[in-house]
Amino acid sequence: MSEDRVDELLQKLQKYFSHITAAEIMNQNVITLTPERTLWQAKELMKIRKISGIPVVNDKKQLIGIVSIEDIIVALEKGCIKDSIEEHMTKKVVSFSPAESLDSIISKFERYHFGRFPVIDESGKILGVISKKDIIRTILERFRLIYVHDERRSQILEKEAEWFDRSLITGDYVKKSDADFTFRIDYTDVDLAGAGAAKLKAFLNKKELDERLVRRVAIATYEAEVNVVIHSESEGCIYCWVEKDCIKVRVEDHGKGIENVEQAMKEGYSTATDHIRELGFGAGMGLPNMRRYSDKMVVMSEVGKGVVVEMIFCERGRT
Amino acid sequence: MFLKDLVANCGFNVVSGENLEVEIKDGYVGDLLSDVMGNAPDESIWLTVQSHVNILAVASITGIKAILLCNGLSYEEETIERAKENGIILLSTEKSSFRACVDLFKAGLR
Repeated sequence: MSEDRVDELLQKLQKYFSHITAAEIMNQNVITLTPERTLWQAKELMKIRKISGIPVVNDKKQLIGIVSIEDIIVALEKGCIKDSIEEHMTKKVVSFSPAESLDSIISKFERYHFGRFPVIDESGKILGVISKKDIIRTILERFRLIYVHDERRSQILEKEAEWFDRSLITGDYVKKSDADFTFRIDYTDVDLAGAGAAKLKAFLNKKELDERLVRRVAIATYEAEVNVVIHSESEGCIYCWVEKDCIKVRVEDHGKGIENVEQAMKEGYSTATDHIRELGFGAGMGLPNMRRYSDKMVVMSEVGKGVVVEMIFCERGRT
Repeated sequence: MFLKDLVANCGFNVVSGENLEVEIKDGYVGDLLSDVMGNAPDESIWLTVQSHVNILAVASITGIKAILLCNGLSYEEETIERAKENGIILLSTEKSSFRACVDLFKAGLR
């Protein structure tokens, strides 16, 4: 991936994940050097560990400088590669505090064009380092969410018939007739909301799957089913495939659609009517619960064209 | 804790459910279904003011064993019928959710 593409991707992700802090992103496995070491040693370490900069710390692990690949190049040109790091390191270091937000982190990456930044506590002690790769890894790991938008989204939306036929996650054609479990959602009776998820739970329990896994599938499917009943004003369907290493669930309807998927993904946001809220629905936690309990989730929707939710659940071991 | 001991100690009414020899390990208080869905532990007792039939789907999916309807409210007929099918125990009390929590705590559920 080119540098420009990385920046573009980070900018897009930034607005969804702005509450993540430096402490959560940083790589705590930091390679540091003390100032009396030579630039030659720094160069060797960079070569072996494939890194472009090394924080320099005193005996109390407090950050006192940084030595970068540029410093090494200059030292090689000047013939002073055997000098101590202290003589040539950059002493004015731009760093992050552990509580620094993703917004601020990304704006510093843009402003300074450094490859990595140290994270230090109040006493100046180094806690970790952050590179762009660490940011992307944190986002992917923590949210386990693929959210199709922008180019990909519009491509699929142009062929609206296609997102009812293709997997939103893999792009393959979905054979709904092959599903291991199918349930037609009756949207006319609010009392029945959840019946499909309860049936799915009973069906999966017979398959001797991990109980925790089945519970997660049932909870996320319940939320998707309730959304069809209380929001879509249309028929819907739940499909489930039990595969060797995962469970796939797809819930779709041809109803009203979601006006703003980004907003709907936020906790507490709901368009439910007062009557529906009185029944305890419309807490604005439906989509967030689906995201939380699935390992991968994609939502596709457009006003008047229905909603397709696809989720994948993998066994996570004992958690 | 066994449910029969909690019911006896706290003086809750049993609306539906034959067998109270059920182990209760935890509890949850909530009236927003998705909140309960997302956060209630399994093998728990759920304190709420919601009485309509949808609470049973929430209970059976999350693994809630018993529902305690607070504030002297009563269950809808259909809820009681469906609870039998789902094997969920229905309880009720005049007390508020908070007061009922205090009683459950005193009875040893913590």
